[in-house]
Amino acid sequence: MLFRRIYQFLIVYIVGVSGLLLLKQILGLSDYVIPGVSLIITIAQEAGRGYFFDVLNTLSIAVLGQAISVILAFAVGIAGRKSSWIGSFIKMTAYNIQAYPIVALAPIIFILLGDGFVPRLMIASMICYFPLLLSVLGVMSAPVKDIEHFYIVTGRMRWQLEVKIRAFENLSKLITVISGSATLAMAGAIVAEFIAADAGIGYSIRVALYQSDLGKILVALFMIGIVISVYQGILESISEKVKRVMMVPEDEI
Amino acid sequence: MKKFLSIAAGLAAAAILFATSSQAEELNYRLKWLFNASVAGDIYADQLGYFEKAGLDVKVKEGGPEKNAIKELELGQAAFGVASADQVIMALEKGADVVVLAQIFQINPMMWIYRSDIPEIKELSTLKGKSVGVTFGGNDESILNTLFAVGHLTKDDVDLFSARFDLSPFLTKKVDVWPVYRNSQGVILKERLAKENEQVHFLNPADFGVKFVANSVVTSGKMVREHKDVVEKFRVALVQAWADSIDPANEAASLAAIASRDKGNTEDIVKLQFDSTRELVKAPVFGTIDVEAWKQTEAIMLEQGQIKKAVHVENAMYK
Repeated sequence: MLFRRIYQFLIVYIVGVSGLLLLKQILGLSDYVIPGVSLIITIAQEAGRGYFFDVLNTLSIAVLGQAISVILAFAVGIAGRKSSWIGSFIKMTAYNIQAYPIVALAPIIFILLGDGFVPRLMIASMICYFPLLLSVLGVMSAPVKDIEHFYIVTGRMRWQLEVKIRAFENLSKLITVISGSATLAMAGAIVAEFIAADAGIGYSIRVALYQSDLGKILVALFMIGIVISVYQGILESISEKVKRVMMVPEDEI
Repeated sequence: MKKFLSIAAGLAAAAILFATSSQAEELNYRLKWLFNASVAGDIYADQLGYFEKAGLDVKVKEGGPEKNAIKELELGQAAFGVASADQVIMALEKGADVVVLAQIFQINPMMWIYRSDIPEIKELSTLKGKSVGVTFGGNDESILNTLFAVGHLTKDDVDLFSARFDLSPFLTKKVDVWPVYRNSQGVILKERLAKENEQVHFLNPADFGVKFVANSVVTSGKMVREHKDVVEKFRVALVQAWADSIDPANEAASLAAIASRDKGNTEDIVKLQFDSTRELVKAPVFGTIDVEAWKQTEAIMLEQGQIKKAVHVENAMYK
């Protein structure tokens, strides 16, 4: 899983850069518009190490932001699973808020909180949170009638049991959504750094943009791609293991 | 795979060439920044038909932080553009074929604003212990570094703060000295603080001998070689329009032209920005290229490591 992610990314990256280089050759563009291979390598040697640590910095925010969003999404999703007025209110609020682009709110967050760790974390969490919440709400609001009916008629149904049944029955879906949200958290952290921060790879890309340096941006994209591939590969491997441990194989049913 | 790549590249190239050829009649002129008083002459030329009178069909296009005129020149998306000196020098270093037609600003509008509760900065040593805003990666970083070198200061002598478009760090007094374009944000901030009975000063790097060239009109070398007549007509029309726009006799027409494009500022602010711009672009002959200032800009960039080899920028000036 891990290696598949990495080579998938490498194929996409190499195809993308090759396309740019081909365009450079065909149109006779200078290194200022599209840098040549030797310039990209030189920039990678000069800036690659720094960008790698910048990506790790961003990843730390993304991982933390993702953890916060998962906890929040489950808390709100569980509270909003009921068809009571409070459940409906939570669902309605979640659907409406997620329709609003978080990036548009980002400047307000930065004006109020300045730049630094907290705003980056907030934006990463918010961008990751809403899609997660919608999935958790969807799962938690859908009764597993066959199983739940038994516990309801025998009077043994508790909310904890209801949550467990619904989570277990949709384990595969929940795990996929959680591991997939890693990319969202990373994108959120990069967006936050791009708008206003003084650290992280998003900030470094912004500085490179000021200098119109596509070479630096390509190196930064490479570092982001590699690190996120490894992170997502690890998450997916863990997910597979969790699924194997927790789910009963079909031939044993 | 090879065949697929060739087809994809061919299609992409065709798309770009089509975009270029379909605009063959129209000459795009990409500005560096948004429509406001800092591009007064460009708006004036467009509004009052200077290009039409010269027999040219020019479309003046607004700039912005993500726009880069030199790249558009190379990609054939623009015939003329406005670029800062550091952009020109960096492009030359990377082999771009760019020619400077006219230098709009004789004084760089990039300055630092500070409240008058700080003693007026007549010596750079006054900056010691102050928090100073800087756009890392921006040309103000190079200018500030040069100011530090001139004033025998190090970065440890001040508290550097990463600046962006948001002015709140300065307004909330979190930062003492903030980078602004003197003729745009500088005017707005000055007025805003004046309403709160706060006076401001501006730190002008040129006062300390740091002459870093700002915006200039550029085109590609290919354009000069192949369409010299068009380039000359454009240059003459634009320079004349700028000269006329800053002429006090034409002030009403200039302000009306700017107001028709700049929807973000009040009339009072536009007037103040226009007055400020006029001071910064003023020259015996509008658009005069200050070759010594360009050389100094290149030397600064070389010293700061923004370029690795000399580009002899003086050779890229229109003759």
